[in-house]
Amino acid sequence: MKYSVLFIVILLIAAFFAGCTQPAQAPSQPSEIKVGAIVSMTGPNSNIGKNMWQSAVVAADEINANGGVFVKQYNTKIPVKLVQGDDESTRDGGQKVATKLITEDKVDILVGGYSSGVTSAYQQTVAEYKIPYIVTGASSPIITHRTDIDTSTVFHHCPTTDAYGKYTTNFIDQVIRPAVNKKFSFPADRPFRLALLYQDTAFGQGVQAAVNETITKNNLNIQLVSQQSFKMGDSDFRTALTKIKEANPDAVYVAAAPNEGAQIIPQARRDVGLNTIFLAVENNDAPEYYKGIAQYGEYSIIESRFSPYLTPKGILSDAQTAFKNKYFAKWGTYPDMMGASTYEGTYIAAKAIENAGTLTKADTRQALMDLKMPQLIEYMKDSTISFTKDFRESQFDLWMEQLQYNSTIGESRPNIVWPDNLKMTEFVLPDWYKPGNP
Amino acid sequence: MYDLGILLQIVFWGIYAGCIYILLATGLNLIFGVMKIVNFAHGEFLMIGAYVTATVFFLTGFNPYVIILLSMLALIGIGAVVERLCFRPILGTSKLNEIFLSIGLIYIFQNGAAMIWGDEWQSIKSPYEGITVPLGSLTVPLDYIIIMGVTAIILCGLYLFLKRTKTGREMRATSQNRKGAMLVGINVERLDILSFGIGCGLAAAAGTLWVVSGQVFNPYMGSIPAVKAFAIIILGGLGSIPGAIIGGLLYGIAENGAAYFLGGVWKDAISFIILIIVLVIRPTGLFGESGE
Repeated sequence: MKYSVLFIVILLIAAFFAGCTQPAQAPSQPSEIKVGAIVSMTGPNSNIGKNMWQSAVVAADEINANGGVFVKQYNTKIPVKLVQGDDESTRDGGQKVATKLITEDKVDILVGGYSSGVTSAYQQTVAEYKIPYIVTGASSPIITHRTDIDTSTVFHHCPTTDAYGKYTTNFIDQVIRPAVNKKFSFPADRPFRLALLYQDTAFGQGVQAAVNETITKNNLNIQLVSQQSFKMGDSDFRTALTKIKEANPDAVYVAAAPNEGAQIIPQARRDVGLNTIFLAVENNDAPEYYKGIAQYGEYSIIESRFSPYLTPKGILSDAQTAFKNKYFAKWGTYPDMMGASTYEGTYIAAKAIENAGTLTKADTRQALMDLKMPQLIEYMKDSTISFTKDFRESQFDLWMEQLQYNSTIGESRPNIVWPDNLKMTEFVLPDWYKPGNP
Repeated sequence: MYDLGILLQIVFWGIYAGCIYILLATGLNLIFGVMKIVNFAHGEFLMIGAYVTATVFFLTGFNPYVIILLSMLALIGIGAVVERLCFRPILGTSKLNEIFLSIGLIYIFQNGAAMIWGDEWQSIKSPYEGITVPLGSLTVPLDYIIIMGVTAIILCGLYLFLKRTKTGREMRATSQNRKGAMLVGINVERLDILSFGIGCGLAAAAGTLWVVSGQVFNPYMGSIPAVKAFAIIILGGLGSIPGAIIGGLLYGIAENGAAYFLGGVWKDAISFIILIIVLVIRPTGLFGESGE
C-alpha cells in the first residue's frame, strides 16, 4: 500500500515536471500565406485590373518557384496564395470585396487598388482590421494623407498625382515651352498657354491641384488658359475640347483613364481640329491606349515609369525584359505600369513578411515601415524601395515619352525624351502643330 | 460675348448626341406605347447592337453604315425572343415583376457579352474617318452628317410604317387602347412581338451609330444611355414618338450646352433639371396625354 501511494506520488510529480518542461505548443504552421489582391476584374477599369492581377500572379509564381517566403517563426518557407478580390470598378464592389477578403478569406496582407475613389471607399474596413495594404494603382495622395480614418497600415507603391503633376508641369516648362518659343520666334518671357482636361474625381482633381501648385510655387511662366472637367466614364468630350480650343492653348494636359484618354485625343484632333501637343498621365501607358489613339496619338506625350513598348537602357533593362517576357508567355499580352507596380507590390508583401518573421499583422506593418529592398523592375529614388516615414509613399524615378506613329502596325510607339540620362530621342514639335495666341 | 461659330459647334455636337438618344428613346417609347411595360434593359440592346456591328465589321470589313441593317435585323430577332420568353409571361402582372425581370436581363446581357466578346473596351474606325465637310461657318466631320442623315431616314421609315401600313395603324390603335384593339380583332400579341423587336432594332441602330462615331464600347456601356432614354421619354411624354424625338434633341443640346457654359460635371445634371421643371409645369411631359 505504502509503495503504491509512493509510486502514485512519484508519477504525479513526474507528470507535473514533465508538464512544466514540455515545450509550449507551437502555433500551427499555416500551409500558405494569403495575399489578397483587390483588382477591377469587371467594369470599366477591367483592362487595368486584369493587368494588375495577372502581374501579381507572375510574381507569386516566381516566389513559389523559389519555395515561397521564409518565415522565421516557423523556420520554413511557406508558399504564397493569391486571393483575387474583384472590386467591380465600383465603390460598393470595393467595400464588399475588401470585407470578404479580410473577414472570410482572412488574408495576411493586401495589394492592389486602382481607382482612388474605389480604394478610399473601403479604407475604413482596412483600418478597422489593421490589415497591411500595399496600394499599387490608386494615385491620389488622399489614400495615405487622409486624417478622417487611420491609414497607418496603408502603403503607397505608385507615384501620386502630386508627383506626376509636378513632374509633367516641369517638363512643360523646361522642354515644351522653349521649343514652342524657338520654333515660332516667340519672346522668351511669353507665358506658355496650358489647358487642363481632367476627370472629376480625386485622381483628376489631384492632378489639377498639383499643376496649379507647381506653377504657383515655382513661379513658372505657364498660364492655365482653360480647366475643364468631365465625369468618370464619359465618352463624348467634344464640347469640352471645343471650349479648350476656344482658349487657344499651346498644349493640353489630360488627366484621364486609358479608356477616356484613348477617345479624347482622337476626338480632339479628328473632330474638333485641335492640333496641339497632348500630355497624358502615366496610367495611359497601356497597350489598349496605344491601340485606341492610333495615328492621332502621334507626337503626344505620356509621363511614365514603365512602358509595355519600351525598355530604357540601364541596370533594370534585363529585369524589365524578363518580366515582360514571362508575362507575355503566360498571358499573351504585355503588362502595363499598374501591372508592374502590382508585380512589385506582391514582392514587397513577401519581403515584409519575411523581414517580420511572423504573419502577425502589426509586425508586417512595422516591417513595411522599416523596409529597404533593392529596386526590382521600376527605377526608384536611390535605387531602393522604401516608404517615407510620414505618408508611407515609395519614391519613383519618372520619365516623359513622346509617341511616333508606326503605319505598319497602325499604332504609335513611345521614345523617352526626358530626362537627359534616359533620353532616346529629342522632343519634336510636329509640322501640323498650332501654338496658341502669340 | 460668345463666339457664334463656337455656339453653333456646340449645338452641332448636341444634335449628334441627340441622334443616339432619339433612336434609343423612340424604341423604348414604342415598346411602352404598345405593351405598357418598363424595360430597364433597353440600353443592353444598344450594347449588343454595337458588338454585332463591330463583329461583322472585323470579320468582313463591310462599311459599318451598311452593317446597321444587319444589326437592326439581328436585334429585331433577339428582341422578339426576349419578348416571347421573358416579358409575355409577366405581361399584365405587377410592375415590380417587369422591373426586376429587366434588371435581371441587364446582368444576363452584360455578363453574356463579356463572355462572348470579353469586357475590354473596343472601338472601330469609320471608312470616312478624318474627312471633314463645310457646313455653313463650321467644318464638321463627315461621319456626323451621315449619322444625322441615317437617323432621319430611320425615323422617316418608322413614321411611314406607323402611318401608312396596316400593321402600323394596328400598332397605333393598340397603343391608344389595347382592350379596344383586341375587341376589334387586332392580334395584340403579334404586335407586342413586333413592337418589342422594332424597339430593339432602333436601339441596335443607336449602337451602330455609337461605334461608327469612334466612341469606345464595352459590355457595360448601355446603362447610362438607358437612364437618359428613360428621362427623355418622360420629358417628351410616355408613349409619344414625337415627344421622344424632341426630347432627345433637347437633351443632347442641353447636355452639351451645360458642359460648355457650366462645366462637364453639369452635363448629366442639367437634363434632369429640365425634366423636373417640365414635369412640374406639365406632369404628362411635353407631348404626353393624361392617363399614360
